[in-house]
Amino acid sequence: MIFVTGPLFAGKREYIRRALGLSWEEFARKAVWDVQELAAEAADLSALAAELSQKEIVIATETGGGVVPIDPRERAAREAAGRLACLLAQRADTVVRVYCGLPQVLKGEPPC
Amino acid sequence: MFTLVIGGAASGKSEYAEGHALSLSGRRVYLATMHPADGECLARIEKHRLRRVGKEFETVEQYIDLANAPIPAGANILLECVGNLLANELYDRLGDGADAVLHGISTLLSRCRNLTVVTNEVCSGGANYNRETLFYMRELARVNRTLAARADRVVEVACGLPHFWKGAP
Repeated sequence: MIFVTGPLFAGKREYIRRALGLSWEEFARKAVWDVQELAAEAADLSALAAELSQKEIVIATETGGGVVPIDPRERAAREAAGRLACLLAQRADTVVRVYCGLPQVLKGEPPC
Repeated sequence: MFTLVIGGAASGKSEYAEGHALSLSGRRVYLATMHPADGECLARIEKHRLRRVGKEFETVEQYIDLANAPIPAGANILLECVGNLLANELYDRLGDGADAVLHGISTLLSRCRNLTVVTNEVCSGGANYNRETLFYMRELARVNRTLAARADRVVEVACGLPHFWKGAP
C-alpha cells in the first residue's frame, strides 16, 4: 500500500495518479482519499487502518498543524486523524508527503 | 532562474529571498504587492522597506495587474508576495482573479533575468474554515502548485532555514 499525505490542496491525488500513470477511473478504483474524515467516527482506529490498507493507495490530508481547536469534538477528531495517519504509515510500503505538488518520500522507494 | 520561496507567517522567507536576490548580479527590482489599505499595512510596508535600505533594490509597487508592472527588461526581480497579490486580485474591485496572478508571473518570466517569488503556505492548519476562506486557500494552493511546477527551485523556509523541494542551493 502507498500512503500519501500532505497539506490541504497540495495536489496529493494528482501527484500519485500521474506517478503511477493511472487514468482517473483506475485511480478511483484503486485509491481511497480524505480518510482523515473517517477517523473521528471510528470505534477502532487499528481496524480502520487495516480495512483502508486493502486499497492500493490511501490518501489523507494533514490536519494537525495550526492551533489546537477549542471545541472538544474538533480536538478529538484532529487527534484521531493524526493517529490514523501514523497507523497507515506503519502499514504502508511507501509513504510520500506532497507539498505544492512536489513529493518527498518518507518511507520506501519512490512510486512509479 | 526562477526560484519559488514558500513558508508560513514570520518563517524568515522574506529574509531568505532577499539574501538570494542579493547574491545575483545586475539590476535588482523589488516588486511590492501590498495595497496600503490601513495602518497595519503601512507599518508592515515600512518594516520591509527599512530592511531593504542599503541593499540596492529599486522598488516598484504594483498591487494588481502584474503583467503591466513597469519593470525594466533584463532585471533581477524579487516579487513579494503571492498571498497578498492573490487577495488583491480576488477582492479588489479592479482585480481579475487567480489567473491574473499566473499570467502576470509568466509575463515577468519572459522579461526578467532571474525571478524570485515569495509565497505563503496557508494549508497546513486543517480545514475548519468558512467557505470564503477555503476558496482563497484553494486558489492560493493552485497558484503555488502551478508556480512550483514551473520553477527551477522550490525552497521552503522554516525558522529562517531553507529546505529544497526542487533544485539545489
